[in-house]
Amino acid sequence: MSAMLLNKEKWPEFVGKLTGKKIWAPQGEGQEMRFAPLDEGDAPALEYGNTRVPPKQALFPQTETLFRFQLGREDVEVPELEEEVVLLGVRPCDARSMAIVDNLFSWEEDDPYYFKRRELVTLVGLACSEPGLNCFCTSVGGGPASTEGLDLLMTDLGEHYLLEAVTEKGENLLKEAGDLLEEADDDKVKEKEQLIEESKGAIKRSLDTEGIPEGLPGLWEDPLWQRVSASCLGCGTCTYLCPTCHCFDIQDEVEGFAARSCRMWDSCMFGEYTLHTSGHNPRPTRRERTRNRINHKYSYFVDKFDVIACVGCGRCVNLCPVNIDIVEILKQVKEAL
Amino acid sequence: MDLDKLRETAAEVVARDDVKYLIGWKKGSYGFRVAPAFVEDAESAAELIFSPLCTANLATYLTLVEQLPLPRGQEPDDRKVALMVKGCDSRAVAQLLVEKGIHRDKVVILGIPCPGMVDPALLAEKYSETEDPADINWSDDGFVIVRDGEETAVPREELLAEKCRLCRYPNPVVSDIMLGEPVEAWEPEEDEGVAEVENKDVDGRWAYWQDQFADCIRCYSCRNVCPMCYCQDCILDRLNPNWVYRSVNFSENTAFNIARAFHLAGRCIECGECERVCPANIPLGKLNRKLAREVRDKYGFEPGLDPEAEPFQASYKPDDPEDFIL
Repeated sequence: MSAMLLNKEKWPEFVGKLTGKKIWAPQGEGQEMRFAPLDEGDAPALEYGNTRVPPKQALFPQTETLFRFQLGREDVEVPELEEEVVLLGVRPCDARSMAIVDNLFSWEEDDPYYFKRRELVTLVGLACSEPGLNCFCTSVGGGPASTEGLDLLMTDLGEHYLLEAVTEKGENLLKEAGDLLEEADDDKVKEKEQLIEESKGAIKRSLDTEGIPEGLPGLWEDPLWQRVSASCLGCGTCTYLCPTCHCFDIQDEVEGFAARSCRMWDSCMFGEYTLHTSGHNPRPTRRERTRNRINHKYSYFVDKFDVIACVGCGRCVNLCPVNIDIVEILKQVKEAL
Repeated sequence: MDLDKLRETAAEVVARDDVKYLIGWKKGSYGFRVAPAFVEDAESAAELIFSPLCTANLATYLTLVEQLPLPRGQEPDDRKVALMVKGCDSRAVAQLLVEKGIHRDKVVILGIPCPGMVDPALLAEKYSETEDPADINWSDDGFVIVRDGEETAVPREELLAEKCRLCRYPNPVVSDIMLGEPVEAWEPEEDEGVAEVENKDVDGRWAYWQDQFADCIRCYSCRNVCPMCYCQDCILDRLNPNWVYRSVNFSENTAFNIARAFHLAGRCIECGECERVCPANIPLGKLNRKLAREVRDKYGFEPGLDPEAEPFQASYKPDDPEDFIL
């Protein structure tokens, strides 16, 4: 389908067309912005940089009940997922992170929980015309209008949004809203392309990743790991706010006789991550744990799935309490190669 | 602040045979950011700074050290750690000494009188962050922002951090070496943040915290940054028994946040780090300061002032008030 135009005046009507589906959109103010279910009848304002908390919980909730059971009984109850969800205004880096994480959850076998959600979720993206301070998506294979992982991409052209379907789901959305849309002419498409070029030019941080994935294992005992992890507090800010971090733990939670088995986010920056029952921990200090965070994203994942597990959203840089900066770490890695 | 003197003194301290390293502040990777500096040799002392951006309380690093088991025959390096402290940071050191969390002869404390720090969040909101290095200095009546070669004067009230507006101890309470002359303590403001919550009725307070705790993502940055949270075995990390479930929901989030706050009653030295680092913007300071005030009003105890004091929770006086016991 060709590119379509939506007059912004018709934006609330467009959102109204999504009846029957739960809509998630960026909500809150300023720094507290995060994706949350929208109240019925609301149309979200899409003027924002990026949410503090990435929308990954739409596919990979921080706490997910895998099944419920009762003490003394043998049957288990598996929660049914059926609600269709539309995520409105997802930034291209966050959508790309979902495409990257798909690799992990389909490794050898498809994860039924993740892919059931994947099937139920429609991702409507919003191209970035004003990149944030620590954005470096263009250094890791993305871009301000990357469509990877998205079903539909919107670009803000002032009075209009330019809508481009990426998948069948996206095309269906456009069909449903057909009477609100008009076909975009070549000028509008060119306007978008120019906007995106300018946006790319406005990205200030960059990184040359060449040689890093292959070179990282050779730096296993390099003193740089001690240096870059010395100030690390070992909190979960960088990993919990990372759109591609996907480590989880499975724990049983019991209340009286009822219990549930849950999958919950884990963080390689925590002390009990990979702590063995014996008490041994192969990653005993923050040096090994920081090394793991970088290696997992920039080496192991590349080795396994041929893509860097970092989308350059800059959240870990923005929000680290002690200014541990992944771009700086990788520059030091480059120098040490 | 005379930075040359600070660096010179730091270099001398680091060069001492009985000092392992010194922890101070240095310019961060971009814009206004400041990062902790671990200085191991005299030359690296040149990167040290002290500015209104040095909000971080570095005392937390005294207890954050993780040690690997030593290879056979190797002796542990038990030389001293040198640490730069502001007034509030020094209270953390004093309280750690009270609790015997650190040994006095294992630290060298470089005290810096503090004229007040800027609030990094306010700064980012009012003067957008930039990639290029930017700086802030103190002036006679406020701050001066330096960037792109231009200086902008900013009144003190506009950017002063909340913890500094409420501060009563800007000068280090414990130190081995003092850098600079003591500053004159200012009149602390009324704690409007705590009053705002106190003025609500019970339901209002519950609703307020319910709303705040719902945002918690349980990254534990508040716990990890806190110089007074240093249990080797924290109940939050215990898997068997699992005292606080890792599930992120209101019940568990509340259990965590209340446990954290209560464990700090009579121990929190009000450095405000928990609130600064919270990625969910939860006003944790209000909770801590409320408990600190209860302890102060009821027991006349203020933590982190006298390294020789008896710890509040481990002391008993026959005339301690007990009117709240049912």
